[in-house]
Amino acid sequence: MADILHIARRELKIGFRNPWAYSFLALFCTFSLGLLLIHVNNAVEGYTAVTGSMLSLILYLLPLMTLFLGSFSLTSEREDGSWQLLSTYPIGTLSFVLGKYTGLAAVLLTIVAFGYGLMGLLSGLLGMAFAADTYFLFLAFSAGLVLLFLTLALIIGSLSRNRWQALTISVAVWFFAVIGWPTFLIAGLGLLPYLWIKPALIVLTMLNPAELVRLFVVVKLGGGSVLGPEYYQWVEWISRPGGSLLFLGVCAAWVLLSILAVYWIWERGRSRG
Amino acid sequence: MLIAQGFRPSRSTKVRAVLLAGLFIICLFFCSFNHGTIVSADTSTGVLPLQPIIDSAREGDLITLAPGAYSGPVRLDKRVTINGNGEAILLHTAKDEQAAVLITADSVRLENLKIQQNNDGEAAAVRVEADRVTLKGLVIHSAGYGILLREADSGVISDNTISWFIPTGEAPGTRGTGIDLYNSHGAVIRGNDIAYLRDGIYLENSRNTVVDQNKLTYLRYGVHCMYINGSKVTNNTGEYNITGAMVMGVTGVVVSGNSFRKQSRNVHSQGILLYDVRNSAIINNRVEGNRVGIYMQQSSDNKLQQNLVLRNYIGVQFENAEGNRFERNGFVANVIEAQATGSRDNEMNGNYWDAFGGLDLTGDGVSDLKYAINPFYQQLVAGNAAYQLFFQSPGMTFLSDMYTGGSAGWSTDSAPLMQLEAGTVSPDQAAGGQGTVMVAGWLLLFLSVITIIYLGVLRL
Repeated sequence: MADILHIARRELKIGFRNPWAYSFLALFCTFSLGLLLIHVNNAVEGYTAVTGSMLSLILYLLPLMTLFLGSFSLTSEREDGSWQLLSTYPIGTLSFVLGKYTGLAAVLLTIVAFGYGLMGLLSGLLGMAFAADTYFLFLAFSAGLVLLFLTLALIIGSLSRNRWQALTISVAVWFFAVIGWPTFLIAGLGLLPYLWIKPALIVLTMLNPAELVRLFVVVKLGGGSVLGPEYYQWVEWISRPGGSLLFLGVCAAWVLLSILAVYWIWERGRSRG
Repeated sequence: MLIAQGFRPSRSTKVRAVLLAGLFIICLFFCSFNHGTIVSADTSTGVLPLQPIIDSAREGDLITLAPGAYSGPVRLDKRVTINGNGEAILLHTAKDEQAAVLITADSVRLENLKIQQNNDGEAAAVRVEADRVTLKGLVIHSAGYGILLREADSGVISDNTISWFIPTGEAPGTRGTGIDLYNSHGAVIRGNDIAYLRDGIYLENSRNTVVDQNKLTYLRYGVHCMYINGSKVTNNTGEYNITGAMVMGVTGVVVSGNSFRKQSRNVHSQGILLYDVRNSAIINNRVEGNRVGIYMQQSSDNKLQQNLVLRNYIGVQFENAEGNRFERNGFVANVIEAQATGSRDNEMNGNYWDAFGGLDLTGDGVSDLKYAINPFYQQLVAGNAAYQLFFQSPGMTFLSDMYTGGSAGWSTDSAPLMQLEAGTVSPDQAAGGQGTVMVAGWLLLFLSVITIIYLGVLRL
């Protein structure tokens, strides 16, 4: 436990000395404030164009930021030789991975908190109508997105040999999960028999953190009915308080499995030198 | 001699006849204007049956009911006026009776009476089978239907409150309709407040009906009308219904000044649903926060003008709607503004689309770029409804934007407005919790800045 904290603290220090973190912070703040100003006369409440466009912005930006910062942090360990040094200490690989995850999560969540803090403050100063539940839902949505994509970032970082490779894979994963997703799915699922499409779609959605979190927020914003009668039952479940627990469970399973995968990769690397 | 005398009117009989005639006229006068039967209900003995009171009244009587409880069912088969002054309540607990009040005589008036009707299903609080009946200021709690009009023309139904209730100790029954007209033409339905029933106002085969200023909440359809040519649905407000106004199979109807809001919970929700509507005017309505603002299917030659479409998931949706004129409508803050498939020859002109970045070179307030509605998503979903999961997914927007094949056939606004006419949309009021957001914002900003300074700037 002490090891985890130690590594997490080290990660935090490195994270906040990293200019990348600040450039993403600036980017996130600029875009969210820009959106806020465009919609200054509209209430931010429920599922509307305002919340819809905010959702899209966050879906574009946060996964990219998380994938870059997360994967670079891991590859740099290897490139800078600090992992080789750490390996000589009596630190377990799991402690290392968990410490990395916690530290990076803290850095990213601080960036998100800064952005939302500024947004909340400014909307108050501008006298905008910003419903409290929508605000907190968005905060939770962003945090969830960061935590889920961070596990992906760690996997990418573990598999890449250097930063360039990590960058390339990160962009590819981001494009696949956020932008190309419907295109690939529609093309791929079109080959399946009609009745298989819906179950396959649901399973695949569970596997894509961007879609999973987006749909959860849309339903929680009250927009579940727009998904149509096909998903009536799902929407009902998620709308209930138990739905949040179910969602948290899926996210926890996601994080846990990915961290185990990362652990396995590093442990394998360590034992083989 | 005696017989002859009997036939010849003497002076005294003449006087008597005149007197009698005078009395008769006075009597008539009295009967028609002031012959009120006032009943005092003895509330200590409980519920008083109402039918005997009606039976004892004569044609044209005004029956003013004293405060208290009366029992039904009653049948009104003569022209009387019953006024409950808002303090008399008619209880209808008998089983297997179809209506608490059955009206079979023309020109009956029923006013300011509370009615509680405990039977569910087809049973109604008031059933009218006569013309020119007035129902005003009634407060109806019904486990089944509210007011039924069957073959009853020119009725006036105004300022009534109708809601569904579950009789104590009983399971909830089937909800009926609030006001239900069949084959009843020329009725005026105004200022009623209807909630928690199946449909608010149901009109079938009833021409030239006026539905005005009613308040409709928590219903399946607020106003549900079929085959009501020449009717007007105006100035009604609806909230939390599955669908605000469902208009189908009509020609020459006016739907104007209505406001339907917050109808988004159900997967079939919409503000106004138009199906098989022809030559009608849908003008000046406000649809806000619905799943679909205005949904138009298989309708042609209608005018849709100056409607305000606000904050809906889908602003308007056209399916096989042809030859309609769609002008000067305002679209603000809808997640998707418009969807259209199979809809040709619609004349779209001068609408305001807030998500559309127009370009006005000539400075006449009209964009020189056209606004075209991309049908890609709707076509995809029509093929397989499972893809609705992609609604407004960033990747879906990306894919739709790439799809421009056959854009010449898309529904297109040839001259979209650059600005919404001033004063049409008021800026939103604080949604409550504005202070909370600001405080939370302060707190988050403070914490993150402290963390960044502590770990990043000071480098402790």
